[in-house]
Amino acid sequence: MAGKDKTARRVPSGGTVRSRTAVRRPHAMDYSIVFLVIFLVGFGLVMVYSTSSYRGSLYMQDAAYWLKRQAVFAVIGIIAMFFVARVDYHFWKSRKWMLSAYYWGTILLLIFTLIFAVVSHGSRRWLRLGPLSFQPSEVAKVSLILIFAIYISRNVRHLRTWKGIIKSFVLAIPVIGVVGIENLSTSIILLAITVIMIFVASDKWKPFFAIGAAGIAGIAVLLLTQGYRVTRIKVWLNPEQYETGLQTLQGLYAIGSGGLFGKGLGQSMQKMGFVPETHNDMIFSIICEELGLFGAVGVLIIYFVLLWRFMVVALNAADLYGSMIVVGAIAHLGIQVFINIGVVTNTIPNTGIPLPFISYGGTSLCFLLIEMGLVLSVSRYMKIKE
Amino acid sequence: MIEIYVFQKRKYRFLFACLGVLFLVLAGRLVYLMIFSSEELSTKALDVEQRERSIKAARGIIYDRNGVVLADNQPVCTISVIYNQVTEPEKVIRLLTEKLSMDEDEVRKKVEKVSSREKIKSNVPKEIADEIREASLAGVKVDEDYRRYYPFGSLASKVLGFTGADNQGILGLESRYDSILKGTDGTILTLTDFRGIEIESAAEERVEPVQGDSLYLSLDYTMQSWAQQAAEKVLKEKQAKSVSVILMNPKNGEIYAMVNVPEYDLNEPYHLLPAYEGGEGSENDKLNNMWRNPLISDSYEPGSTFKIVTATAALEEGKVTPEDTFHCPGYKMVEDRKIRCHKTQGHGAETFREGVMNSCNPVFMEIGARVGAERMLYYYKKLGLYEKTGVDLPGEAGSIMHKLENIGAVELATMSFGQSIQITPLQLLRAVSAVVNGGTLITPHLGVRIVDSTSGENTTLSYETEEGRVSEQTVETMRSLLDAVVSEGTGKNAQVEGYQVGGKTATSEKLPRGTGKYISSFLGFAPSDDPEIMGLLLIDEPTGVYYGGTIAAPVMAEIFQNILPYLDNL
Repeated sequence: MAGKDKTARRVPSGGTVRSRTAVRRPHAMDYSIVFLVIFLVGFGLVMVYSTSSYRGSLYMQDAAYWLKRQAVFAVIGIIAMFFVARVDYHFWKSRKWMLSAYYWGTILLLIFTLIFAVVSHGSRRWLRLGPLSFQPSEVAKVSLILIFAIYISRNVRHLRTWKGIIKSFVLAIPVIGVVGIENLSTSIILLAITVIMIFVASDKWKPFFAIGAAGIAGIAVLLLTQGYRVTRIKVWLNPEQYETGLQTLQGLYAIGSGGLFGKGLGQSMQKMGFVPETHNDMIFSIICEELGLFGAVGVLIIYFVLLWRFMVVALNAADLYGSMIVVGAIAHLGIQVFINIGVVTNTIPNTGIPLPFISYGGTSLCFLLIEMGLVLSVSRYMKIKE
Repeated sequence: MIEIYVFQKRKYRFLFACLGVLFLVLAGRLVYLMIFSSEELSTKALDVEQRERSIKAARGIIYDRNGVVLADNQPVCTISVIYNQVTEPEKVIRLLTEKLSMDEDEVRKKVEKVSSREKIKSNVPKEIADEIREASLAGVKVDEDYRRYYPFGSLASKVLGFTGADNQGILGLESRYDSILKGTDGTILTLTDFRGIEIESAAEERVEPVQGDSLYLSLDYTMQSWAQQAAEKVLKEKQAKSVSVILMNPKNGEIYAMVNVPEYDLNEPYHLLPAYEGGEGSENDKLNNMWRNPLISDSYEPGSTFKIVTATAALEEGKVTPEDTFHCPGYKMVEDRKIRCHKTQGHGAETFREGVMNSCNPVFMEIGARVGAERMLYYYKKLGLYEKTGVDLPGEAGSIMHKLENIGAVELATMSFGQSIQITPLQLLRAVSAVVNGGTLITPHLGVRIVDSTSGENTTLSYETEEGRVSEQTVETMRSLLDAVVSEGTGKNAQVEGYQVGGKTATSEKLPRGTGKYISSFLGFAPSDDPEIMGLLLIDEPTGVYYGGTIAAPVMAEIFQNILPYLDNL
């Protein structure tokens, strides 16, 4: 609202100002998105506390150990979100060098991480900055969305040809590739974001359907003929037969024991160490156990409503650049929610992806909120039907 | 400024629809897991989360006929350690080694074993367990349960039997009535975390244990003690191998006392008594021998007490009357064999009545021959000698009898005075009961009633009886004949002042013959005209004088002297 008042006051002051604001006059951001995001972050903090308190008091002598850390990132993230929302999203492409800076900056950061990363859980994904660790692959998601939004808005006509589509896709390969070395799941998300953004921007349908159909057919053939070779697939099909399937099984036990209304908040038994990573990737299984089918479907609906609000913003964005930012965010959020819940419910093979806003993880939360800031910024310039 | 094209908007909607489908798939999957598979998954989850701990149920109490406790429960404790919770293993090892007086290496091995719960020792007395509990070392668990306790130690040891490590009945009544005496164990279901540690805040599901039902016996503590004392006394005097006594109500089969000394201590059943240490066999065989109840598990040649059966058969057949006369030259020629009477110079001329009083073998050989093998076996059958008595004790033996086609004159003659056949002492007692109680074949028994531990409901146990096995007239005759045995004949030593006692003595040479090993016995009952109690006393392998009338009858008299007035006052 503050922005609107300011512009309103500015209107009578001079012709130049008036002409600029006539093109993109910022109005109030989409508060339903703000509300949903803050609700999800708050809900996430409650669930992180619920899922980590037992382990926290066991190993860290502090039940709120993980809650406190997550809360710090949530506060930083929300401040950052509002800050980014206040900034005109065109600022991020206002200079010619900015695109190359994002692009090469991201790649250098990722390479730097590969070399200097702290090894955690057997992977080199973390950079240590004083007391905090930082996961550059999460940054890559936001910067990839921004890079493609800028690139597509400048080269949208090229995307009408095969050559242009392939060329833009090649642009993403270095980023996806470098992330994929240590973190396959994040690179899958990056790939999905890229493909979706190019698909939406291009006027072509058939090539994407062809690629999609070919991809699905290829995966199906691979699964049917070679599936038994890949442990991940074998564990997915028969989790009870493998030691690594234990996590999946325990998660399923948690989900199943929730029933219709759940055991009540904080009453999960499976979080007592039976389900590993309860406050991380497996948090949704504990949500199911404690809040039941109603809670779980409720969370799904909140995500879906949020995605619907994004869609409204994307459809009414002032320009293609803003619209593409929101499409990237839709792709990011939608795919990540689907993969996480799909893995937890053993609908798809196991891969480690956090549940947006809810799972424990500082970098992920912070940059996701910054991404929301971008979306909110776009919403401020959205065309509103009078 | 590039606007959004219409085709792009269409693609947005398509993208959104795709996401909608994916979300619907997830919602469907959740519904499937949380509604349709909920039960199955919850059960599996509980399997991992819950730990079951059983609470031992106390066993039912065994009372004698007057409510004296013969078998009780004593609270004891089981000490175990939980590996994950032990923080000071050295202290734990030291404490347990000291308090439980166990070998340190053994304790160390158990404490250091990686297991969810390792039992260190069970049946630890409560006081010691309390001391361990008070030390309150992390990871040491004290669980209370019960151990069988027999207040009178060796009293009726071979009848009561004892229980095993899990409180299950192993021998005797404890085994026979195990299903009644054993209670229903309770359970504590606790929730544990992934390390198996109980979660303190979680609610316990507790199923209380139910104590087993109580058993009331016909056994009488007082009579049993007297009988045991008398048996122990004669055991010592005669340096016999063992002495057995059964006291029974001949009218209904209630056993008042069943003694076989030396009796072992029921609280220390694995401690082998010196009396059983000798001989062949393993330690286990010797223990089994100590635990066995020969009154029901061993058959023997009854000898002269069996003449009661022969006389009954002859009287029933009308082949003899008490006044019939016989002549005993000290032996009887049967086919080509000369079978001797115990009085080698012979009893001379005597009536049948005198023959019974004298326990004269030739008289019984004669009447046996008169009855004939086939009819003789018919009466054996009538008096229940072909079947087990049906006593409520495990391990009962059957009789060993000749087959009809194998009975020649010699076999018939020896059978007539209780040789060449084998029966258990209880079978003899049952048969004679039928002869003197009015012809009713009873089932000897110990269990009388069961009292339900929760409802207090009484269930009286019933046993089969068969009337009319012996005619009224024969019963009368036999009572007076057996009365005469004690008042004037070989059983004189069994007389009790103020009471009419009937009975029969016996001295049987053990098999194989010629080893000089005898079983001296006396079967007596009182009052002889309407018996209220019947007793059988067996002295196995006495040294020195071995005649039943000389050594067994006085012991029975001693027992009767105490018991008859006691019975009058009951």
